Amino acid sequence: MRPIRLACGVAAALLATACAATGTTTQPSTGPQAEVEPGYLAVADDALPSGGTLNLQVHIDSGAATGYDPQLADVATTWQLLSLAYETLVTVGPDFSVQPLLAEKWETPSPTEYVFHLREDVSFSNGRKMTADDVVGSFERLLASKSVWRGQLGAVKSVTKDGDHTVKVTLKEPYTPFLAALANVPAAVLPMKEINDKSVDPATTLLGTGPYVVKDHRQDVSWTFKRNEKYWAKGKPAADTLNITIAPEEAARVAALQNGSAALATLGNVDSAGMLAGAGDVKVVTQATTDFYYLMLNTKAPASKFADPKVRQAIAIALDQRQIADIALGGKGEPSAVTPAGLPGACDPAALPSASKGIDDAKRLLAEAGAQNLTFTLSIYSTQPAPAVAQVIQQNLQQAGITVKIEQMDEAGWSGKVYGKAPAEFDAALSWFAGYADPGMVTKWWNPEEAGFNVGFMTPDKELNALIDAAGKEPAGAAREKALAAVCAKADADAQMIPLVTRPATVAFRTDALSPSLYSTEGYGNVLRLVADARVKKSQ
Amino acid sequence: MRLLMWWSGRALSSAATLLGVSVLIFAAVRLMPGGFAETVLGPFATAEQKAELATRYGLDQPVFMQYGHWLGTVAGGDFGISMISRQPVGAELLARLPVTAELSLLAVAVSVLAGVPLGVLTAVRARPGGGGAAGRLLSGLGVSVPEFVLGSLVVFVFSRYALGLEVGAWVPLTQDPARNLATMVLPAAVLSVFAVSVTARTTRDAVMGVLVEPYVTAAVGRGESPWFIVRHHILRNAAAPVVTLLGTITAYLLGGALIVEHVFNLPGVGSYIVQAVGRRDYAVVQAGVLLAAGVFIVMNVVIDLLVGVLDPRLGVTAGRRS
Amino acid sequence: MKRLDRLSLGGLACLLVLVVFALGSLAGAGGDPDAIVGPRLRPPGPGWWLGTDNLGRSMLPRVMEGVGTTLLLSSIAVLVTAAVSATFGIIAGYRGGYLNELVMRLVEVLYSFPAIVLAILVAAVLGPGQVAALASIVLATIPLMTRLVRAAAVAVSQRDYVTSAVISGARLPRVLGRHVLPNVAGTIAVQGTYALSVGIAVEGGLSFLGFGVQPPQASLGVLIQRGGTYMIAAPWLILGPGVVLVVAILAINVVGDGLRDQLEPRETRSLT
Repeated sequence: MRPIRLACGVAAALLATACAATGTTTQPSTGPQAEVEPGYLAVADDALPSGGTLNLQVHIDSGAATGYDPQLADVATTWQLLSLAYETLVTVGPDFSVQPLLAEKWETPSPTEYVFHLREDVSFSNGRKMTADDVVGSFERLLASKSVWRGQLGAVKSVTKDGDHTVKVTLKEPYTPFLAALANVPAAVLPMKEINDKSVDPATTLLGTGPYVVKDHRQDVSWTFKRNEKYWAKGKPAADTLNITIAPEEAARVAALQNGSAALATLGNVDSAGMLAGAGDVKVVTQATTDFYYLMLNTKAPASKFADPKVRQAIAIALDQRQIADIALGGKGEPSAVTPAGLPGACDPAALPSASKGIDDAKRLLAEAGAQNLTFTLSIYSTQPAPAVAQVIQQNLQQAGITVKIEQMDEAGWSGKVYGKAPAEFDAALSWFAGYADPGMVTKWWNPEEAGFNVGFMTPDKELNALIDAAGKEPAGAAREKALAAVCAKADADAQMIPLVTRPATVAFRTDALSPSLYSTEGYGNVLRLVADARVKKSQ
Repeated sequence: MRLLMWWSGRALSSAATLLGVSVLIFAAVRLMPGGFAETVLGPFATAEQKAELATRYGLDQPVFMQYGHWLGTVAGGDFGISMISRQPVGAELLARLPVTAELSLLAVAVSVLAGVPLGVLTAVRARPGGGGAAGRLLSGLGVSVPEFVLGSLVVFVFSRYALGLEVGAWVPLTQDPARNLATMVLPAAVLSVFAVSVTARTTRDAVMGVLVEPYVTAAVGRGESPWFIVRHHILRNAAAPVVTLLGTITAYLLGGALIVEHVFNLPGVGSYIVQAVGRRDYAVVQAGVLLAAGVFIVMNVVIDLLVGVLDPRLGVTAGRRS
Repeated sequence: MKRLDRLSLGGLACLLVLVVFALGSLAGAGGDPDAIVGPRLRPPGPGWWLGTDNLGRSMLPRVMEGVGTTLLLSSIAVLVTAAVSATFGIIAGYRGGYLNELVMRLVEVLYSFPAIVLAILVAAVLGPGQVAALASIVLATIPLMTRLVRAAAVAVSQRDYVTSAVISGARLPRVLGRHVLPNVAGTIAVQGTYALSVGIAVEGGLSFLGFGVQPPQASLGVLIQRGGTYMIAAPWLILGPGVVLVVAILAINVVGDGLRDQLEPRETRSLT
């Protein structure tokens, strides 16, 4: 099962065991995850020796016709793998603050100018020193490409170098999320000399400045990464070898954790903590993410059932985000507005107009729109927990007299139905967005002219688009929070894409085999972000 | 001469079947809703990117042309290029085939080694008119527990209680035969449960059929020992239906392997097909399913040949039965 | 007709209980299988006699609905298979010649696909759901039954009573319907029971791979697939449907065996 959602990833016997197992039944824990340090679920123990082999299992491989080109990568699972070999000018800290990476510092002489001072000791894994030309060239290549990430960078006017280690970016207008947008894999610094002289094709070869280099990759089976001996950060990466096994079946990953053949694995089931309860050396943690599920209501289909905004608002009112979070996601998600819950400056979902109304208001709106016996089909893909979210939505809307028929499809069938045609033919659909690291970023997808992918089912709203652009220009602070709140309220009233709840990421690791570092929150779906710090406890 | 005629007819009909299979696979793959473009390129792809991809894989051609082209290249041993990995499908199939083959061969071995003695034993011990309820229940249970139930159970129990055999840590046979075998035992065992039951059942029926033959009566009359009779008269004469069954079992195992590979995360042909269907990776689905069907068809020709050798009386007129 | 043996009668009784169980679901006994009635993942207790699932739904009505879905789907599929196989098998077996060749070739093509592969292809083409499950089971069970019906029809059509019917001027439909069909009915019945158990297994396998019936509808395959991920935290999710699935297949097979022994009695002897 391969998720082809917007910038995203993460998926998803008996009689005798059931009896044997009853004794160890534990209630899956809910509530906030315990942090070991502010912003961290786990911190690698520096006292442990570095070296060794780290065996990981993830549910899905990267895979697209565009190959490994980081600039064209648009799913989080691909970002995660490419981030082992590629690096960006800046990165994201534990609290979503922007931190130096390939740029050791930067200045903003004016709201439209950014001057980056590059590290001088950085080499690509082929040994060649990284220069300002690589940075400028990467920018130019990205801006000229068909990458979706262009839209997140804002309006870039020019990129110039000033000597070998300084790069200046000028924007046409102020754009607050600029640095956060630079912190993601599509904005990575590529080896432009090799790309230009065609000695390296980034679609087939990974050549970056990152902590690891690829030794072997078998599609859908495994990756092997070796440490990059030329890596600039002293003492990193700690582990010599990363073996990443692709295991689509959750039970196989759970088994690998239990028998020690994997030291760390991503899990798709929100209740996996319960599944691993009693396996003493395995620790299960839930990483909060800014990713969130949303409901698409197609207004562009001929004779759309959702053409009247009152119908859409009635649905927004009848949806019970809290119940979706508590039941479908086992209490691990949070209700979210169009600015992802958890990001600094995001608006309060409880303050949205739809949140203050009740089922009777929803019924009244439906009656006014002449849609009392509304019935529609909700198209979802089969990867958990999407079916669980859909079934709670169905129960929610039943309260308002709306009948929802769930149509569960495989990933390819779903993508074809939702994105394959313009105007699209589906009624409603469920998916999730990666929430990124700045509250203004994902709001851009509410402007279909900017996003492109939803042009087939979403009618542009000039007022909403103006509000989104205004919030992008506003510098961080109270005024921006107000501007973002206006975006949230307007998107809530528009209700063509209704934000639901954040999507937690579950990770488990063996405490006897590994001492990893993990952020408490993540914006780009990258569970392996700090893997270069992870210490292997015993040779496996 | 008649034999030769029969064999050429058999070869011809097998070829026709394979051709029919290829048409069916191709039609099914093209009828699947959901665009390869949205799946392979993602929703952000532009119309030009999608068109470019279609051209690159020849998907802008009329379907009949595509089919003809595919048939031509497959006949030449070229299975095309995977849209996801951009690698030749043939090479990947070749790398994955040993896993599925090993799994199936182990399962066949288990079903012959366990199923045949079990069948002989229950047949020889059976009393006329006796029900053998316990045996029937047991063999019934064997065919009643689907692999995905048994597999999930085994994966869970063995990893949970650290019972020694590793789950989810597959290593290639060429790299470390001992560890490879340790990781293959459980999946093969799960896969063979159904086959063992069916083999035991068929063997029992076949042996019971032979037991009433006059030459067995004569042997009993001569005072030969039961086990001598089993070895010299029964096994040879009851072999044909059991060998025929192996052909059917092959088809069954290829399907079962698909589920078992998924449950145990083994990189075989089955998991390749499942993942490719979910992504509309046309070349992979076509090649994988054609391979599975092809193996089955060839296997059955071989079985017919074997049955002819084992029991010349049946010769070329032997029909297959389940 | 001789009575079935005790074991087969036991199997029949089991099936009857399951059917009653499923009918109860239609009548609304046990409650609404889709309603969220309580906290998530609760062990069996008052209000939810088989526990609650990961969405806080009572498992009792869900298992009841699951039995109904699975049995109904498989039964309809087997009836379709029986009708198709009987028609084509009898015509091919009686007429022989090119018609026979054509039918056998088509059947051979279908027979070359492993059942689950065929099921996955069908589900991908039709989209997951009841129709796909039904079509998968039909396509997976048609080849074997058609072949066996044909073989039986070949044997029957050489019998004297068929020949005399033809000589006395009976039309083809009458010959096939009155003389051939009744004599291959036994084969159809026996194979039907086996096809039923194959159907249940195929439905389960499809659900396991994510191509099963649409949520929130429950089937045994869907329940087992979901329950498998909760084996430790909530074993009751898999216990009920797992036992019922195995019992159902087992019962059907036992009945099938009994039926076969009944229709094709075999002689045997003892060596020891």
